Amino acid sequence: MSPGMRPQGRGRLMDNPRTRVFILLAPVVTFFVVFNTIPTLWLLGLSFYNHSLTSGMPPEFIGFKNFVAIFNGKNSIWFDLSRTFTFVICGVTFQTLLGAALGFLFWGSKNMPGRRIALTLLFAPMVLTPVATGTFFRFIYDPTFGVLNYIARDGFGMAPIDFLGNPKIAFWAVLAVDSWMWTPFMTLMTLAALGSVPKAELEAAEIDRVPYLRRLSLVIWHHGKFIMMLGILLRTIDSFKTLDLIIPMTKGGPGQSTRLVALELNKQSFESFNMGWSSAYAVLLLLISIAMTSVFIYVLNLRRRKEAEE
Amino acid sequence: MTKAENFEAASGLKRRSVLKGGAALGLAGVAGSGLVGRALAAEPHPLAGQKIEMNILGIAGWGPSSLGVAMSPLFAEYVKAKYDYDVTFQFQEAPFADLFQKAATSLATKSQEFNIIISDSQWLGALAQPGWILNLNEIIKANPNLQLEWYSKAVVDTYMTYPDGSDQIWGLPQEGDVEALFVRKDWLEDPAERAAFEAKHGKPMPQTWEDFAELTMDEFELLADFFTRPDKQVWGFAQQYSRVYDFATCAFNNFLWSRGGRTWDATTGQVEGILNTPENAASLAEYKRWLKYCPPGATNIGIGEGVDVFVQGKVFSEIQWAAVGPAMIPEELKGKVLVVPPPKHGTGADAKRIMSMGGQPWVVNAFNDDAHMRVAIDFMNWWYLPETALEFAKRGGNPCDKATLSRPDFDDINPWNRTFKYMLEDGRSQDFWHDPKYSEMLAIQQEGYSAFVTDQATDPQAVMDYIACAQQQILLDSGTSKIEPSAMCAGTSL
Repeated sequence: MSPGMRPQGRGRLMDNPRTRVFILLAPVVTFFVVFNTIPTLWLLGLSFYNHSLTSGMPPEFIGFKNFVAIFNGKNSIWFDLSRTFTFVICGVTFQTLLGAALGFLFWGSKNMPGRRIALTLLFAPMVLTPVATGTFFRFIYDPTFGVLNYIARDGFGMAPIDFLGNPKIAFWAVLAVDSWMWTPFMTLMTLAALGSVPKAELEAAEIDRVPYLRRLSLVIWHHGKFIMMLGILLRTIDSFKTLDLIIPMTKGGPGQSTRLVALELNKQSFESFNMGWSSAYAVLLLLISIAMTSVFIYVLNLRRRKEAEE
Repeated sequence: MTKAENFEAASGLKRRSVLKGGAALGLAGVAGSGLVGRALAAEPHPLAGQKIEMNILGIAGWGPSSLGVAMSPLFAEYVKAKYDYDVTFQFQEAPFADLFQKAATSLATKSQEFNIIISDSQWLGALAQPGWILNLNEIIKANPNLQLEWYSKAVVDTYMTYPDGSDQIWGLPQEGDVEALFVRKDWLEDPAERAAFEAKHGKPMPQTWEDFAELTMDEFELLADFFTRPDKQVWGFAQQYSRVYDFATCAFNNFLWSRGGRTWDATTGQVEGILNTPENAASLAEYKRWLKYCPPGATNIGIGEGVDVFVQGKVFSEIQWAAVGPAMIPEELKGKVLVVPPPKHGTGADAKRIMSMGGQPWVVNAFNDDAHMRVAIDFMNWWYLPETALEFAKRGGNPCDKATLSRPDFDDINPWNRTFKYMLEDGRSQDFWHDPKYSEMLAIQQEGYSAFVTDQATDPQAVMDYIACAQQQILLDSGTSKIEPSAMCAGTSL
């Protein structure tokens, strides 16, 4: 630009820090508004209507009736919520513990032969489609010709186990598959968290002969907790909306024993096409998700806040 | 300009006249000769010289559905020769449990993504009520080819009519289907087995179609028990208990109806007091009792799993849809399987069988533009030509028109044909509700039946109460019924 020339049009706007922010944010904000905010507001509006796509009738405004029906336990949704929380808490806890253990194992064995192959194999379940995984495991679990029962029967002389047909076992059988799929994710997050720990601090702690558990809490957890908590948060949200694994395995059965909230929401909205009631249900689930996320973020920021106060 | 406007501009015809034209050509097709026929045949087809691409939505993994699809090139040849237009077909599929979802989400946007849909019979109300599919009354009136004499009233009630009992036609049968009992004939004919059975029970095993047609459940139970040998990994019987889609419902309804029960009153929408009778609760217990003759994991048996256990020689007999005959009797089992009517319930002269109807109708997308609508009507006219129906039967399908089923050679075309025809007669098979709320009502009872057969719920009466109350509330909420659930319903749960 020659001296004395002033930037014109877009160039001038980009030079201004105030307008530059808006220009740079505009595409993502537009995307967010169009594909997130408007549908969410639409969802919120629809939750106050009685609207079934298959009735052929126009939507009817019914105020809070859908929410009242939910709080009165329509379609056994409190059972679904309680089952879903059990699924999330048990699943995420197990996956975090096992994933972290595996992460430490791989972190501490960097020179192990075949480490890369082992890691690749470990991560394989995570990249499979849940529907395909569910279908595979339905066959693996089959009591008549499934491979698991074949081994149990011919290898150990056990009676056939009806993994997905027994309501006492089915929930845990599905949870086991979910853990098989997603423990590697927590391993990955653990490795990422461990990778974020400064080597110098670790070496200093080692030289100072700080006990391992204190090293874990003062150095490793201090630096890696954000990534670990992020992993737990992502797994919690993902686990809360588990659907595509259960559909091919049990479709929520036997009875209602594996019916999680996402399954019921899917049924009401995309099988029964009760758009009003489903919207109210979705609003409730959205609020629960926001509450859970807020708790995680609060916990994550607790120490930072304490430090700021000090 | 929309596709429809394009078509109108090109052909100079309005939508209504196109449908009427379709009727006229349908008439010409059957007239064949005579003044009217010659005059109409001389009139060029409005699509002559054009190329049309049609989309059919069918059921994935369902033989009869793919048969309809596989035969579509014959239609292309037919219309090329007869009407001089080219038609190609694209096919999309989804499994039973997901097909309605796929169809409805597309139709709700008034899309003509699927010009013709192979629907399940219970969906007629849900597709018709919002106006997503074409009412066929006028089309049938105008197309003599479609004015067929159907084999029984059950065909009309199941595949064509909504609301139940009305004269409004929304579908035409693509594939007829009934419940049949598939039996291992080679096991029955084994001299050692025959001798052992006779020694144990003092009477011979049934051998022929006629023997089985008279068999009651009590008599059949002797056979099921005789062939149940868990130590040899063989069981006597299988039927559907799966929670998926309508699998448990259809199998249980066989018990409920045959033992004198009803599911609802279609005119008043009353469920409570009809479904949850002590007799129906006893039927549910009886349905569950038969699990002892089924292989492990039978509570997950649906159509596919049922085919697997039968074909792998794990079970002696199975109640299964006639439509999956080609899968139940693969090459290696040809000549070794007898397909017979399922046993009667009850004893003596009162013994009867009323089984579930299966099968699917064709329905036509109401949002088709004129060209696609015209091809859809031509397709229907072609599908019910005697030669097409016969070809369908020869490929393993089950047509429903009286002319084809009354052919002297029909019974011998497929091993299940005689039973199909027998079970299609009025009073032997029936369908359940076609209400737009069928999906919700079905989900409730699938959960209930599944909970009971898997011991999650142990009291059959409580299960039936729960289902009846929930369904009554659904029908009340939707306006189908004015009957409110009783006070008893407040305390019901699974």
